[in-house]
Amino acid sequence: MSEMRKTIVVGMSSCNIAAGAEKVYGIIREKMADGLDVNLSITGCLGLCFCEPQVRVIDEDGSEHLYVDVTPERITGIIDEHLKGGRPIAAWASDLNQGAMVKLLGKQRRIVLANCGRINPERIDDYLAQGGYQALERVLRENRPAAVIDEVLASGLRGRGGGGFSTGLKWRFAYNNKADKKFVICNADEGDPGAFMDRTVLESDPHAVLEGMAIGAFATGADEAYIYCRAEYPLAVKRLDLAIAQARERGLLGKSILGTPFSFDIHVKEGAGAFVCGEETALMASIEGRRGMPRIRPPFPAEAGLLGKPTTINNVETWANIPWIIRHGAADFAAQGTEKSKGSKVFALAGKIKRGGLVEVPMGITLDEIIHDIGGGTGSKRQVKAVQMGGPSGGCVPRQLFDTRIDYDEVVKTGAIMGSGGMVVMDETTCMVDVARYFLNFTQLESCGKCTFCRIGTTRMLEILTRICHGRGKPEDIPMLEDLADQIKHTSLCGLGQTAPNPVLTTLRYFRDEYEEHIHEKRCRAGKCRDLCSFEITDRCVGCTLCARNCPVNCIAGASKELHVIDQNRCIRCGVCRDVCPFDAVAVR
Amino acid sequence: MERITFALDGKKLTVAKGTTILEAARAEGIFIPTFCHNEKLKPFASCFVCVVEIAGRAGLVPSCSTMAAEGMTVVTDSERIRKARRTCVELLLSDHEGDCLGPCMTTCPAGIDIPGFVKHLAEGNDRAALELIKRNMPLPAVLGRICTRPCEGECRRKLVEEPIAICQLHRFAADRVSASGVEYIPRKAPSSGKRVAVVGAGPAGLSAAYYLHLLGHRCTVFDMHEKAGGMTRYGIPSYRLPREVIEREVAVIKELGAEFRFNTRLGVDITLDRLCADFDAVFLGLGAQLAKPMSIRGEETEGVLSGIGFLGASSRDESLKIGRRVMVVGGGNTAVDAARTALRLGAGEVSILYRRTRAEMPAWEEEIHAAEKEGVRLDILAAPVAIDQGPDGFLHVTCIEMELGEPDASGRRRPIPKPGSEHLRVVDNVIAAIGQDVDASDCSGLRLTKWQTIDADLHRGTTNIDKIFAGGDCVSGADIAVTAVAAGRRAAVSIDQYLRGEKVTGEPVLYNHTMGRITEVDSRVAEGFDKVPRAAMPEREVEERIRGFAEVETGFSEAAVRQEAARCMECGCRDVNECRLRSYATEFHADQFHYRGLKRVYERDDSHAEVVYDAHKCIQCGNCVRLSEEILGTSAVGFTGRGISARVRPAMGRPLAEVDGKGIDQLVENCPVGALIRKDDRVAALEPEFKRPEPPHPE
Repeated sequence: MSEMRKTIVVGMSSCNIAAGAEKVYGIIREKMADGLDVNLSITGCLGLCFCEPQVRVIDEDGSEHLYVDVTPERITGIIDEHLKGGRPIAAWASDLNQGAMVKLLGKQRRIVLANCGRINPERIDDYLAQGGYQALERVLRENRPAAVIDEVLASGLRGRGGGGFSTGLKWRFAYNNKADKKFVICNADEGDPGAFMDRTVLESDPHAVLEGMAIGAFATGADEAYIYCRAEYPLAVKRLDLAIAQARERGLLGKSILGTPFSFDIHVKEGAGAFVCGEETALMASIEGRRGMPRIRPPFPAEAGLLGKPTTINNVETWANIPWIIRHGAADFAAQGTEKSKGSKVFALAGKIKRGGLVEVPMGITLDEIIHDIGGGTGSKRQVKAVQMGGPSGGCVPRQLFDTRIDYDEVVKTGAIMGSGGMVVMDETTCMVDVARYFLNFTQLESCGKCTFCRIGTTRMLEILTRICHGRGKPEDIPMLEDLADQIKHTSLCGLGQTAPNPVLTTLRYFRDEYEEHIHEKRCRAGKCRDLCSFEITDRCVGCTLCARNCPVNCIAGASKELHVIDQNRCIRCGVCRDVCPFDAVAVR
Repeated sequence: MERITFALDGKKLTVAKGTTILEAARAEGIFIPTFCHNEKLKPFASCFVCVVEIAGRAGLVPSCSTMAAEGMTVVTDSERIRKARRTCVELLLSDHEGDCLGPCMTTCPAGIDIPGFVKHLAEGNDRAALELIKRNMPLPAVLGRICTRPCEGECRRKLVEEPIAICQLHRFAADRVSASGVEYIPRKAPSSGKRVAVVGAGPAGLSAAYYLHLLGHRCTVFDMHEKAGGMTRYGIPSYRLPREVIEREVAVIKELGAEFRFNTRLGVDITLDRLCADFDAVFLGLGAQLAKPMSIRGEETEGVLSGIGFLGASSRDESLKIGRRVMVVGGGNTAVDAARTALRLGAGEVSILYRRTRAEMPAWEEEIHAAEKEGVRLDILAAPVAIDQGPDGFLHVTCIEMELGEPDASGRRRPIPKPGSEHLRVVDNVIAAIGQDVDASDCSGLRLTKWQTIDADLHRGTTNIDKIFAGGDCVSGADIAVTAVAAGRRAAVSIDQYLRGEKVTGEPVLYNHTMGRITEVDSRVAEGFDKVPRAAMPEREVEERIRGFAEVETGFSEAAVRQEAARCMECGCRDVNECRLRSYATEFHADQFHYRGLKRVYERDDSHAEVVYDAHKCIQCGNCVRLSEEILGTSAVGFTGRGISARVRPAMGRPLAEVDGKGIDQLVENCPVGALIRKDDRVAALEPEFKRPEPPHPE
């Protein structure tokens, strides 16, 4: 690239694209066709999903300007003023060294996300320029697989898919099982609602995963690998395919890698979108072409996995940690975190949160720091009520437990699980019974239908929750829910069934009064369950007319600067009036 | 081969490495239930009914696919395990649609295998039909004429057109066998040498005596009347039930060895203490013999009769005299019988006075209709308030008009007198037929209820005195005959247990799954049946019948019976005696409705020539899927869908007839429930022989 030109880098991850990045990119291409003389490149996601699309401009002197919330109008302005005129537009740029951004980024510790949003994921040279594949080169050169495993073990890395099993131990089991053929698998079947860590890593830094897998394969004695990726992640699949092809071209995959006797190749297998295929035994069944149904363990995959061969399965984030650990050493990795949880963890912040997106924090940080310091709280006048950790398998951690540290074992004590990293933040307008119902509906629909307790038990629980939300709950419903939850937890084959009751159990543990209100008082304090609430406008109303203009059924009457009134007979209890009211004048009854 | 040692229910076992806990337990004779386990197939672990506890593990583990390991401590039975197994079964039941037994059979108080005997009749096997009926009910000729047929109310054929004429079909079977000259005398168990006193020769007592003899005991039946039959003889007129029919069925009981002592009244001619001293056990089937009083002024006036007294007297003397104008008070079958009997004895004007409307009358609709046809007038929404002997020598009955108010405890609308509507009616006789009470005053020492009925367990017939059992109307209050017959049979089983010194648990109660009442059933069950009208019972003409006591209903022709029997939809599951779901549901006392929710919809695939697949009965154990994959290599069936909608379906969503049918019999054989059945399997819930019931034991 010419040093005499400015470079413009457009964030082209799924989240950026959803926010309109393709249009922005198209406009730049048009201008270039008209003679705009810049270097144009793409990158992945920086994690700042709340202010996308993002465009980075690098001046001839190397100084960088990150533009956020880039609309087609703004990019035209950026091109005219900054690229052509040389006058950066400070108002549209995000100063990474100021205010909220300091809080947001300062508390993060980026290992897995280090390259994300920085390099071009479609160019292997970008990855190599950041020291990529040096770790692989080193382990191949040293040729001591057991030492690699020792290093991973010493790092204290635990499975980032949610289980938290020691990665080094898992590798050692596979290493110790002698076989004519072994596999490694990357689990990229990210299925939790609200989770997008794996997608971002695959779209933004695919080579880190490939390199990690190659190292794992070398260490455990495997020569073939599968990446099981959701078909709903087409961009991730495309970039993986591209990365694999480029790595093969450079001799980093395939026969005799880097001139050593080590041969290794990777296939991408697209999953059809069944949540249960994220369970390792179901995942392997799916790769084998069978219905994705979990089977009992033992035997564990390390003993008899894919096609009956010893197999090492780790998720995307776990694999992506490996090159860093090899390059920087186990000690550096283990230096951060808590006694039993080392390194960093990526979380996807979603829901009622001001600065939603991806964050990577050191283990040991508190939930409060993540949600309030990094995420900025709800961004409204309302308080955070709870956070759902671990998706449908996890649980709701209430605000009073936000001093809980990010640590596998500490999180489990709350009734939630670390999970793969989804964090859905809820505020006072979230009904906790409805939340439990939502997640149970998800697990029920996604149950493979094999085991009695999961297939039918979760359905019966869901029916009870639905009944409660509709005001038809009975006092005996709570003990029935608890009994079923306990039995399903302890009498299911796979993690899906064993954890499906968690959202119900945690909401019952921390928000039992809300269940009781629904059942006994037929009231939903959050104003979410339409059969159990009504909205009224209080005398805080100043007559701004915003609610009346936004009401979808036009049932709010009132002249400008006068108290407004809701026609209860026509109201559909959607809560839009409450959401739009700037004066907090809409109350739930 | 490498061997490992582990503890199973406290016992040290050494087994080959790789042995599952289930295999080890079965080798030790330990019962562990399972649906999805199949020795021919790889472990699957889907049903989770086989769970056991392993020391040190929080959850329960499926024993079918967990290998015993060195040093492991396994428990196969505990409260927690039983609870989990019961929950498993109840969850499966909550998503299982079907009937174990035909709804007719479960509605019949005596539990007659109705689909079974009707099938025999359709095939022309009258004797086989009778044998099967008498397995549960020894008076089919009698009940075939007078039963109020609760079974027919639930007959699924109603969803096509009309119910099967079940009751009249068993009348035919009984009449046909009697007419052959060779009655069916069932085989008896070897004599126990024990003697039982049966008090009351009505339906309950006769039934108890019949089954006690089959169980090897000898009975002496005492009755205060001159002849056997109880209310069937003294409360039901002979135009409905000819007396020789009663004699015929009583004769079989005599043939079995029962001794009858008539004109012997408890408390007068014999005492309960004496019976207890002379016999090894006593069964009381006293009936409800006492007419309920109207409790109005003038009830004692000459010419005022009780329904039960009138029917008893006319039963003894069919030339009894009755006045010209007869007013019957009441709305039940006794009232209608009394009215029709009065007509036959020469009354010119007979009316039935009833305080509600015709729709609320408890009498059987056919009987009311027949009475009206014969000229009986219904006088509804009216009640007597006083009776006086008029100066003209007739009865002057003051009546009052009624109107219906709010529903009462019985669900019927309560009658309320209209003030000022009193009026006078002049009649020769009033017959009060408003119900019967139990007279158990001669049973000293026996605990009674507040209604003065005998306080006995309705299922077992046990009373507060060990050797005394009771059943029928004297326990339940006035009820229909078939209920008393059933009580007699159940008591016989209890008495047998008592006489053999066993714990008296009564007849075993097996789990029975149901699709629900006729009003709740998926109408798809009636698909594919052509409309065929119900056979009409031939009757004597009105002119002829009111002149005497000849039987009104003359019985079906053979041709009508074969056609009528062929209408039966053969409800009930063909797998009922092999079904493991039913067996475990019985074992764990499961409740079909403990977990309620949306259940499978009725979905039958009968495209295949030999096999029917009822997807609504499938419990997703996967036996058929794995068998076709692992052994047959056909992939004929597979799993589809997710969550509660997951189903086993023929490959590629095709009808069963279009998949590779190789080895389909093996799929049927290995289905633990009745989801896959052979079309030529008979509907057969019961064996005809009445034997001492063994306690049910799964597998």
